[in-house]
Amino acid sequence: MADRYLILEDGSAYLGEGFGSPAVSTGEIVFNTSMTGYQEIITNQIYHNQIIAFTQPTIGSYGINHDSYESILPTVKGVVVRDVASISTNRQRRWSLDQYLKQQNIPGISHIDTRHLAKQLRASGPMKASIVDVADAHAFDQLGATVLTNQQVAAVATPKPFPNPGTGLNVVVIDFGLKHGILRELSKRACNVTVLPYTATTEEIINLDPDGVILSTGPGKPQDLPDSVLTMIQNIQNRIPLFAIGLGHELFAMANGAQIMKLSPEHHGANHPIREVITNQIIYASQGQGFAVDPTTIDRNKLITTFVDLIDGTIQGLRYRDFPAFSVQFFPDGAPGPTDALDVFDEFVESMQQARGPVW
Amino acid sequence: MQKEVVDSMAMKRALTRITYEIIEQNKGIRDIVLVGIKTRGVYVAQRIAERLQQLESSTVPVGELDITPFRDDQPLDIALAPGKYQLAFPVADKRVILVDDVLFTGRTIRAALDALMGGGRPQSISLAVLVDRGHRELPIRADFIGKNIPTALQERIKVSVTEVDGHDGIEIINDN
Repeated sequence: MADRYLILEDGSAYLGEGFGSPAVSTGEIVFNTSMTGYQEIITNQIYHNQIIAFTQPTIGSYGINHDSYESILPTVKGVVVRDVASISTNRQRRWSLDQYLKQQNIPGISHIDTRHLAKQLRASGPMKASIVDVADAHAFDQLGATVLTNQQVAAVATPKPFPNPGTGLNVVVIDFGLKHGILRELSKRACNVTVLPYTATTEEIINLDPDGVILSTGPGKPQDLPDSVLTMIQNIQNRIPLFAIGLGHELFAMANGAQIMKLSPEHHGANHPIREVITNQIIYASQGQGFAVDPTTIDRNKLITTFVDLIDGTIQGLRYRDFPAFSVQFFPDGAPGPTDALDVFDEFVESMQQARGPVW
Repeated sequence: MQKEVVDSMAMKRALTRITYEIIEQNKGIRDIVLVGIKTRGVYVAQRIAERLQQLESSTVPVGELDITPFRDDQPLDIALAPGKYQLAFPVADKRVILVDDVLFTGRTIRAALDALMGGGRPQSISLAVLVDRGHRELPIRADFIGKNIPTALQERIKVSVTEVDGHDGIEIINDN
């Protein structure tokens, strides 16, 4: 294994050992505290163009399997670990993590003091980083000069509609870079799904006669999306039951007058207790958020806070007062991580059934 | 033969959704009072009240209604001498939400309306039920429904609540 370096925008450099692809790459570095689920995290499109540092010391011990992809192709820029497992075993294992990253042309770097790195990133917030062969002045110049795109959603969301047929309720999913977990949970509930690009207009959505609409998860900053998305949300939320997740939740909040703030430190992991306000029950869920709804900007005549993060008090769920439109910041599909919040999907299905009325 | 059709998780969710729908349709909880029909309707009403309190940080009164004297299958002399007004608070000008566990023929609800009206003229009365099983014999419908469960006439629906039965759940019982 060759020596490689992880270099950061602030001038710091970490010496490590390369694995996966030998490519040189640059992206924004974030750290993730999940203990398992690296495959889901690497393939989650919310990490588009980002380098993920795992704080769990050993990564890769169960390889890569068929069931845990959260997108067709991963678009992360790198994987940073303390130790990459040299042997991976699991009955479902198809490849090792090293093989998979080689195939996907994604560089990995191991033997990094990820505890030190995580502390540094907690203090600084995410910053630009590169995985390179030589940490010289030229490499730092290149890193400093790199401008990262803010068009992540356009890069990962589907450009064309596609179906995910089922025999039950008719659901439209607006794709901002969706996670397969959302489609998987809808399939389990027999929903007939049409996935539309995020540029879909109100008319295009209404013409499909959906029983419900989902705004999907996705990468990047919600303010970078065109205002037409907010207009679309405002037009449909009072006509069709709406359920928004992750980036969708941030957009739903913005469409109803709330503002979005940068979160520091960010939440990437599954270790935050979250309180469901209405029942006072505590759940855990997988999180991946760099932004949060500013609680002081919520219009309480319009929105109710439904979930709250107990570590830092950030808003994890909202609901419109006057009609069935609600959102969660965390990933209720539980891929990876706790499945405590799966029944938010049942809540959505029941809202749609209720809006349709009884079947007899 | 009995079959659990709603487990405790789904029952909790149904109550949560009913609570949100109450807020949606009443534009808040101003003037709202909950009236549970004995026995299990009372516990359902209390749980909805707890949820409203969590969301809105203000208390909603919960009343208990015993409809026995108002039933239409009672001998006439009892039916003609209904019990006195039972609730601890007046319902005049309130938005009353009547709560029961199962909506079946609608006769219980009719009796409850009679029992309620003795306490003044409410602004409105709406009906929340955990289960609507169909087979109405009166022109009555629910405004808030936890679960629509189509049933055959000979089947029975059993709603269990922890306070009385030790667990939460809804079962269909077929005695044949």
